[in-house]
Amino acid sequence: MQAALATSTSSRGPRRQPTWMGWLLMVPMLLWLLAFVVVPTAILAVYSFGKRGRATPVEFAFTWDNYFRVFDGTELLPLLRCVLHAAGITLVAILIDWFRAPSRLRHERVASARRVGIAVFIAALLWIVWSNLSEVFTGTYVRIFVRSIFYAGFTTLMCVIVGYPVAYFIGRARESHRNLLLMLVMIPFWTSFLIRTYAWITILNESGLLNGFLLYASVISEPFSMLYTPGAVVIGLVYSYLPFMILPIYGSVEKLDNSLVEAAFDLGAGPVRAFQTVILPLTQPGVIAGVLLVFIPSIGMFAITDLMGGKTVPMIGNVIQNQFGPARDWPFGAALGMTLLLIFAIAFWFSTRKQDGHSVMG
Amino acid sequence: MNRRKFLTTTAAATAALALPAHAQARSTLNIFCWSEYIPQSVIDGFSKANRVRVNVENYASNEEMLAKLAAGTARYDLIQPSEYVVEELVKDGRLEEIDMANIPNLKNLDPKYTKLSYDPENKYSVTWMAGNVGIIVNRSKIKDEIKGYSGVFQDKFKKRIVVLDDSRELVAWALASLGLDINDITPENLEKAKGVLEKWLPLVKLFDSDSPKTALLNGDVDLGLVWNGEAAKVLEESKASKRRNMEFEYILPAEGAHMFIDSLAIPKGARNKANAEKFINYVLEPKVSVAIWEEFPYTLVNAEGKKLLKPEQLANPASFPPGDPKLDLFKMISPDRAAAIDKLVTDLKNV
Repeated sequence: MQAALATSTSSRGPRRQPTWMGWLLMVPMLLWLLAFVVVPTAILAVYSFGKRGRATPVEFAFTWDNYFRVFDGTELLPLLRCVLHAAGITLVAILIDWFRAPSRLRHERVASARRVGIAVFIAALLWIVWSNLSEVFTGTYVRIFVRSIFYAGFTTLMCVIVGYPVAYFIGRARESHRNLLLMLVMIPFWTSFLIRTYAWITILNESGLLNGFLLYASVISEPFSMLYTPGAVVIGLVYSYLPFMILPIYGSVEKLDNSLVEAAFDLGAGPVRAFQTVILPLTQPGVIAGVLLVFIPSIGMFAITDLMGGKTVPMIGNVIQNQFGPARDWPFGAALGMTLLLIFAIAFWFSTRKQDGHSVMG
Repeated sequence: MNRRKFLTTTAAATAALALPAHAQARSTLNIFCWSEYIPQSVIDGFSKANRVRVNVENYASNEEMLAKLAAGTARYDLIQPSEYVVEELVKDGRLEEIDMANIPNLKNLDPKYTKLSYDPENKYSVTWMAGNVGIIVNRSKIKDEIKGYSGVFQDKFKKRIVVLDDSRELVAWALASLGLDINDITPENLEKAKGVLEKWLPLVKLFDSDSPKTALLNGDVDLGLVWNGEAAKVLEESKASKRRNMEFEYILPAEGAHMFIDSLAIPKGARNKANAEKFINYVLEPKVSVAIWEEFPYTLVNAEGKKLLKPEQLANPASFPPGDPKLDLFKMISPDRAAAIDKLVTDLKNV
């Protein structure tokens, strides 16, 4: 993807300075950004240093207390232990990989060990953190942040797994069918999101459609609990955000030049190899756009977790919403919101920095 | 529509856009009330009889209402606070005095529910309905004897429990189960309540203040602590339902239950005070009060209305608890303590 980006920017020729006309065209967007992004964020930032008020929601002050509460009870030692644990597993994996096929050249071995090391480390760390979430993250709110990231990440992964084949199929379908298929993806948007969520409630509850069907088909003898569980939350999230994954991937697939795929086959690549080396890299921009469109909103989602999780699977969006609502603690809610914003900003900065590094190398 | 009328209408519409305060003063009423508490039929009836456009917005907890009220972004003419919130609002001078001369139907109220401790001269509030919070059990699924809070929160009922999503309620139950006064919110008592709630909250499957009856009737949960009006509805609907596993019982906790008295009140700065008073008077009519009760069967406080009820309606144990149970009202607590309660429950719910 980085290479693709680099070529696409360089193909546009030398960068030109925008003229005053260009700036004029930007005015509506700049005003929009100012009114709906910059100003609210600034207000949030000011609130986050305030105190909970009585008759007014916020008493202005300067205190770090709200931020302290966000990180309250956090201990670094368990996290460190967890990282070391993952590092140990990684070391074993690298050693196994190193002595796997001794006939390879040295630089092949190094590259392979690096790849395996990074993959194993990330997988091991995620697995250890997820299975010991409450021990690793002792702070209540830090734990909720981490849990939200996991839920959003899992939702995104499911959306990719389910959405990619669908998008590929639609993108490669005959043109006459394509619009119809796209329409089918869009139709749910014609109904209110809340009504669709309530529909899931009637499907998943214990006297609902799914249990009724399974009982009727004698697959189960007792109705099983599905609503108000973490599983229900993920179902709701995947269902709501799937179109946001399908549409951008469809966009990339539609533009995919079929002659490149044919060339891959002509050069002797099997379906897996062709997919891996040609199709996937060329559709990656769509996947990345989809990942952003699904991951970011699902971290902050609160309606689905409330309605389908029974408010027992809190994500960070629920906690923030609760602070601005019943708990009446706007400053703390603002501090949580600012922390979330900061996490995104850092993640974004980190990812662009990495991309720059790659494109310089490429 | 002739041209002249068209012009005046357009002018009025423009004025309404520019100066909503003046244009709205005549014919609207903005109600901010609990969800599932004022039947649509009653709102329509009032709207038709008085040619008033009624806007309704809902909340699911007193604290949510206070938050919106404090934000000051929306103007309401009529709110529905519970006893301790009336006390707080009166103390802060955030309620308009109601002109009782405009409310002749006040005489229909059961005198037990007038001039209450939080508004001794009956200047700021008119009682809407009373109720309590008790235990509802699906008897076709749970045969155990359940007397109080500790009977509900048992490990064997893990993930079969529904409770109200209301921090103050949760803390009050924990205090009552320890034999403490539910209004004695000291840091020490909160610490004790924390110990109890730490064990209770992981057992809960669903937090729902809006409509806990849905999950009970769908069979997603088997027992819980809910508003008595919701419980009465569950008893009524389960009797009418032909589905199996639908036999419910309502029990008031032996340790003492929370009784609430919800009022109608007019917040300071309401733009349509006259309409709000008209509405209060309207709902105090015996027939209207019965219509409200039939949809939301809490404890009816309208003495004249109660005379219209059938014996089997009066026998609903959730609406009109038999005997002389121990019931306590909530009292106003300081904002620091309210904050401490919110923090405690938020922290525990998110473990």
